[in-house]
Amino acid sequence: MADEFPFEISPMFEGERIRKDNMHVELAGPKSIGFELVRAADMNDVEDGKFTLIGPDLADMAEGSRYPIAMIYKIAGELVETDLESIVERRNHEFQNYIQGLMHLNQRDDVWLRVSKEAVKKGLTSFEQVAKAIMMLFKNELPFIEKVETVYITDQAEIEKEIENARAVYKARDDRTKGLHDEDVDTFYGCTLCQSFAPTNVCVITPDRISLCGAINWFDGRAAAKVDPEGPQFAIEKGELLDAASGEYSGVNEHAKRLSSGEYDRLKLHSFFEYPHTSCGCFEVVGFYVPEVDGIGWVDRDFAGTAPNGLQFSTMAGQTGGGKQVVGFLGIGVNYFRSPKFISADGGWERVVWMPSMLKQKVLDSIPAELKDKIATDEDVKDVEALKNFLKEKDHPVVKRWVVEEEEAPAEEEEAAGQAPQAQYQQPMQYIPQQMPAGFMPAMPMMGGSGTGGVKIVLKNAKVTVDKIIIKKIE
Amino acid sequence: MTRIIAVTGKGGTGKTAITTLLIRHLTRGNKVVLAVDADPDTNLPETLGCEVQRTIGDVKEFMHEERDNLPPDVNKQSILESKLYEILEEMPGYDLLVMGRPEGSGCYCYVNNLLRGIMNKLVGNYDVLIIDTEAGLEHFSRKIFKQVDDLIVVTDGSRRGLGTAERIRELVGELETDVNHIYVIANKVTDTTRGTIINTAAELGLELIGMVPMDEMIVQRDLAGQPLMELPDDSPAVKEVENISRKLNL
Repeated sequence: MADEFPFEISPMFEGERIRKDNMHVELAGPKSIGFELVRAADMNDVEDGKFTLIGPDLADMAEGSRYPIAMIYKIAGELVETDLESIVERRNHEFQNYIQGLMHLNQRDDVWLRVSKEAVKKGLTSFEQVAKAIMMLFKNELPFIEKVETVYITDQAEIEKEIENARAVYKARDDRTKGLHDEDVDTFYGCTLCQSFAPTNVCVITPDRISLCGAINWFDGRAAAKVDPEGPQFAIEKGELLDAASGEYSGVNEHAKRLSSGEYDRLKLHSFFEYPHTSCGCFEVVGFYVPEVDGIGWVDRDFAGTAPNGLQFSTMAGQTGGGKQVVGFLGIGVNYFRSPKFISADGGWERVVWMPSMLKQKVLDSIPAELKDKIATDEDVKDVEALKNFLKEKDHPVVKRWVVEEEEAPAEEEEAAGQAPQAQYQQPMQYIPQQMPAGFMPAMPMMGGSGTGGVKIVLKNAKVTVDKIIIKKIE
Repeated sequence: MTRIIAVTGKGGTGKTAITTLLIRHLTRGNKVVLAVDADPDTNLPETLGCEVQRTIGDVKEFMHEERDNLPPDVNKQSILESKLYEILEEMPGYDLLVMGRPEGSGCYCYVNNLLRGIMNKLVGNYDVLIIDTEAGLEHFSRKIFKQVDDLIVVTDGSRRGLGTAERIRELVGELETDVNHIYVIANKVTDTTRGTIINTAAELGLELIGMVPMDEMIVQRDLAGQPLMELPDDSPAVKEVENISRKLNL
């Protein structure tokens, strides 16, 4: 590829591990410090091809030694902008690994490099050779870079001085990425890792919606899909926006149909009640509708107790999982609580009535200030009746819905399967799910909150097996 | 191509000693070895004579715990790779990885998927990958290792012990891992048991590739908690493992 370098440059050297036995020098890494940084600069401030080294060069480093290293690239060009910095910076990892005898691991201020003895023997004696190769690759592979200049630092004191600046840049970058939303991108990502046990699961990962398992965000999806577009994470063109409030996109619907083998053809990203996201079984948190207060409670995997509906996480998870759209329950990743679109179709945080206190603590910063005290936890209430009193006392926004619904009743469900008499707040509903078989979809019973009206239970496509029903007079 | 060998067997059969002696043979022959301790019950690091601070289990837990705290657009595969390299114990001639504790609650699909990709790349850097694994072969069912050239079942010579070998052979048939050969090594063999072992193995249709004799030197070192890598060349067990290695073309 390039005769002027004393090493070969090729993607086939990616993954080459330099063991301690074969290592001439270690740079940065867990036992030292260092960083890599790409900055966009003005055309006039970049001297193309220039290399500056501050500190000792490779030739000065004894075999088996360890040094810190910082690698700073200034790039310029008509199309170069700050947003491209992280993308270019990522390529430093890739390109350095193209160099035979150079191992580059990790990123940002966690970089870790090794140079092999063999490479040094073959003539790799100066960082200038590495920097020139990287600059060449930058310009060849990323044509928007018109000029590039490099500074490498191997002097500990100098790096300590500069590293804080680098961290400030990373921080600013993170703040920008946190401001990325569904409407800012054209592509979402899908994941099929769970399909082995949840065959109709359709996992859609967007800037405002982390995967249900909590492990894969939009950026992870993008990174994985780029490396292996046929792999378990892949791109979904989001298509046309059909409904902004609930996050319905034509591309997502098509994808849902394909991935679920036709089982589902609509999927609203930010809806709890209508065409909700499917739930795999891996989800970190499950949401459950509490009809008595017309609110939504959430319980996480780590909470061993019982939610106010009388159920534990495992019971609700067992019922919700398997890759189905289950109206009344929804699996999510913890980070979805931090999304500005968190169940936006259904009132967002204003609809949240209960969480285990540990979970609430975890996401407290994301709860709107005026609601922080109004969401009950396991420390406040144990059952639905206490929950209802708590919400009333705190004047939780759902309380207003109670009045509205009284006026609206009867509800708009199309097939009324039966009217059950009002069973106060301990209606049998809350015990049914334990025996509910997989095909059971409880539609939301609409509930007159303060004693009037009745309960409507709609069973669609139901196969109900009941071991035992106990009917007791309420005391 | 990296030769991939898995050594398995029930606790107490001495499979870790056999693994160690195989590594001893390989490193002396200037092969670069990646040793993986995939049995939570064993002590490969001790018999090799090195200390391991952290395990793959710890790294997976780190990825799990920290996932919401990591900057959103950093590359997690790259972080996991770096963490894995950090816990690789680098010894002369070989590197050692310990699988360690089992997964906690929650979903590890994504981390395991990343791990599969990284292991795949990593393994290519070695002449031989040797895995000391429990009889349940759990790590194979999770497809962290997709393919095995030689599966060696270490057993004591008892009928029950050889029965285990037979069950492992059946288990392998159910795995999605490709296993090219299955061999049996009888360990702690004495003159009185030798004949019966040969007969039983033949009866069960097992390919008996070696019989490692009861070795006083190993017993002594085990008692004293000393590593087995430095056993002298004239140790009877070392000699038989040399024989086996020749048969396996190692």
